[in-house]
Amino acid sequence: MWKKYYFEYGEKTMKWIGAILLVSTTSWIGFDMSKKLTERPKQIRLLIQSLQMLETEMGYSQLTLQQTFQNISKKVPYPLDQFYERLAHKLSGIVIDFLTIWDEELSKFVQTSALKQTEHEVMKQFGRNLGQHTFLQQQKYIKLTIHHLQRELDDAMEERRKYEKMMKSLGVLIGLLIVLLLF
Amino acid sequence: MLIDATILFQIAGIGIITALIHTVLKQVGKEDIAQFVSLVGFIIVLVIVIHHLSDLFQQIKSVFLLQGL
Repeated sequence: MWKKYYFEYGEKTMKWIGAILLVSTTSWIGFDMSKKLTERPKQIRLLIQSLQMLETEMGYSQLTLQQTFQNISKKVPYPLDQFYERLAHKLSGIVIDFLTIWDEELSKFVQTSALKQTEHEVMKQFGRNLGQHTFLQQQKYIKLTIHHLQRELDDAMEERRKYEKMMKSLGVLIGLLIVLLLF
Repeated sequence: MLIDATILFQIAGIGIITALIHTVLKQVGKEDIAQFVSLVGFIIVLVIVIHHLSDLFQQIKSVFLLQGL
């Protein structure tokens, strides 16, 4: 008698635990997506700031690229400082081709950040021109890259305003729907 | 006679949540996806209801001895 009761009780509890797990998972996915949307404009802004730093460092202190990257890495916050730090570290060894190092580190950085393919492409283009020209031309390229990133920033802000809340509520709601279907 | 009311609550819940998803998507401006979600919700409810209706018809059949149950 009590064994049957025990089984029924256990089954019900498992059902509820499963439901809670499902809802919390989908909610978490939703929150994660909305967090990515929030992070993207912030990180693009940081990227722009770091490029401006690069410009001033190039203009006034005339250090090598490696030292410049080292300096910048100390001034910017988390995901970006790793990028510049690794670049500086790699440039301190024997450098065969700067472009491959740049591309490699850039794709590593984009993977860990909330940035999208368009920003990746813009920064890749920027790497093609880094250290190839006189200061004045270099300055122009930095300005151009900042301009491109600015446009991406507007885009990201718009996207964030539109979809941030939607992702959160959709995550919870879809979890509830699945639970109801399986119940 | 006591019938199982779970099915009613389940269908009501699916309806409410589909309506909420529809509203959220419409506010964001994705009307087409919102329509699609409503349609999918409707189809899911329809499938559940048909499943139970077929049960009902089986019962009726067996009551009137149309089938050798």
